[in-house]
Amino acid sequence: MNYDDLLKNEKSMNEMLERYGVRFGIYKNNTFKEQLFPFDPIPRIITKEEFDYLEKGLIQRVDALNMFLKDVYTDYQIVKDGVIPEDFVFSSKGFLPECVDFVPINDIYAHIAGIDLVQGKDGKWYVLEDNLRIPSGASYPMIARTLERKISPKTFEDNEIVDNRNYAKMLKETMDYVNTGGINVILTPGRYNAAYFEHSYLAEQSGSVLAVPSELTVENATVYYRSADEEKIKVGAIYRRVSDEYLDPLTFVPESLIGVPSIMTAYRNHNVGLINGIGNGVADDKGIYYFVPKMIEYYLHEKPILNNAPTYLPFYEDDLNIVLENLPDLVVKDVSEAGGYGVVFGRDMDEEKLAEWRERLKKEPRRFIAQEVIDFIDLETNEGCRKADLRAFVLSGETTRVWASGLTRFSRNKDSFVVNSSQGGGFKDTWILSR
Amino acid sequence: MDFITIEKANNLYWLGRYVERVFTCLKYYQLTCDKMIDQDIDCYKDFCKRLDIPDIYEDKVDFSKRYIFDEDNFDSIYSNLTRAFDNAIVLREEISGETVAYIDLSRHLLGSYKDEPIFIQILKVSDYINAFWGSVDDTVNELPRNIMKVGKYVEKLDCALRFDEDDEMIFKAETRMLNRVERVPILKELDLPETVILNRQELSELLYNINESFEYEV
Repeated sequence: MNYDDLLKNEKSMNEMLERYGVRFGIYKNNTFKEQLFPFDPIPRIITKEEFDYLEKGLIQRVDALNMFLKDVYTDYQIVKDGVIPEDFVFSSKGFLPECVDFVPINDIYAHIAGIDLVQGKDGKWYVLEDNLRIPSGASYPMIARTLERKISPKTFEDNEIVDNRNYAKMLKETMDYVNTGGINVILTPGRYNAAYFEHSYLAEQSGSVLAVPSELTVENATVYYRSADEEKIKVGAIYRRVSDEYLDPLTFVPESLIGVPSIMTAYRNHNVGLINGIGNGVADDKGIYYFVPKMIEYYLHEKPILNNAPTYLPFYEDDLNIVLENLPDLVVKDVSEAGGYGVVFGRDMDEEKLAEWRERLKKEPRRFIAQEVIDFIDLETNEGCRKADLRAFVLSGETTRVWASGLTRFSRNKDSFVVNSSQGGGFKDTWILSR
Repeated sequence: MDFITIEKANNLYWLGRYVERVFTCLKYYQLTCDKMIDQDIDCYKDFCKRLDIPDIYEDKVDFSKRYIFDEDNFDSIYSNLTRAFDNAIVLREEISGETVAYIDLSRHLLGSYKDEPIFIQILKVSDYINAFWGSVDDTVNELPRNIMKVGKYVEKLDCALRFDEDDEMIFKAETRMLNRVERVPILKELDLPETVILNRQELSELLYNINESFEYEV
């Protein structure tokens, strides 16, 4: 692979990313700041064979997760059959009683799934997390590729890389599939949201209307976009980037100022398609992650293609004992946290901390999972070799499809495994070779 | 798309106003700076008075820098660009990322220190603003474009009145403004003059009424 020309033009690339406002927002000391998402020009390269394998595994996984969501909100057969203990379903923060006995349009809950993977030094890929609520990040490789092709056309003449600029089209098709006859809207909490760049960029690219909650209104269980001359335009599908709990103040958190009152009624009446569905948090709970391979076998009667990272559930006594004994070698994750928060490495703890954590795990076994630390491969970056993951985007509409790209995030700290942008990580393009 | 919410109409109008405020004020700023060289070292005071902004400057040197770059000065060019950007950033899908970029570039240009004459820096800002309007003409649909242009010509006329421009200039700015106002349905309730008026008091009232049609300053 030859990408020398791209490296030579790194400065121009960064200038272009700045020009187009490729940033994310963070709050520090109660002040909102936007910062550039550091871009590394050395691409992650995935061969066609590897991608074919990942694609099959990801489709299988997301299909099973969608079936699980339908099941737990209707018959909960998987619980009745004892495959997943009820503690992991009904006590999950992500399980919303308001969604019980309701099935969204075309049975799809997770229209856009962001599956986080890492590749071990043994070459095997491991799934680290399933993100089924509002996974973000697709816009960064989208715009990066668009700019790379302008700055270094030679790179894309010399290498046979699958064009990834079709994400907006895939997103539109996904929205259209659940559209009830009206405009497509991307609902953003507003300009001070961390992912605002993404919301506005995806709206621009997919031809959707970008709306803040006050621009939408619900009448007779139908969602409308209110125009300034008092015309009401029916909304058919909403890619909402507002969390479940804040989406409808009449159903969830009443103090929410970023919700649309009664949107839940429109959703329940199938008068609007919501992307993603409400209540998906029960399936991307880190505790449920442990059971995904079992789900695949249960619903699809297939062997899981992708591996989970070796995970222990302190909820089970045998697992708890393993965790207590091997804590210095494990990473512990709080099941209700995201974005790299609530993650602690046993190796970073002194004896006192280890003892403290052992007590905590005994006291709140349902709250945590423990995983073996995968020695995942370092990727070359301009700052040296760094840990990196891959967020793959899986879109479910008429069929389930994997976007031939993804967000590769890397840690900018030499010794860190944490790659999240909110914690200073950078990103690079992900090339899928076309042959 | 030919429908706009009240929120977006406000953003479009104020975006047009702030961008034009920067562009026109830079023009008057340059005239003022030229006068300060060898005619009237305090004429920046008159500049502030006409714009109805507080004279917080120690002297002409202080004015020539802080009026352009000072991010803590609510009335500086930098602050006006920031307010333009605050409106532009929520309109990306309406006005295109390319259009937003010109405002962002201007803001960054003034926000980072450069060892080059102020004139060169503000010339670049003016160039970006010209490119911005070119991009608006090229990419923005008719209704949002007309709302932006109402904001633009309201600001242009307002500045022309403040700086006591001659009738020919006022006539030109007013004609352009009315031409756009007529094309914006949410302004149809306005009591517009049947012919161009040159009475400055009446013109100020007309500008006030247009402003009132856009609920709040964003």
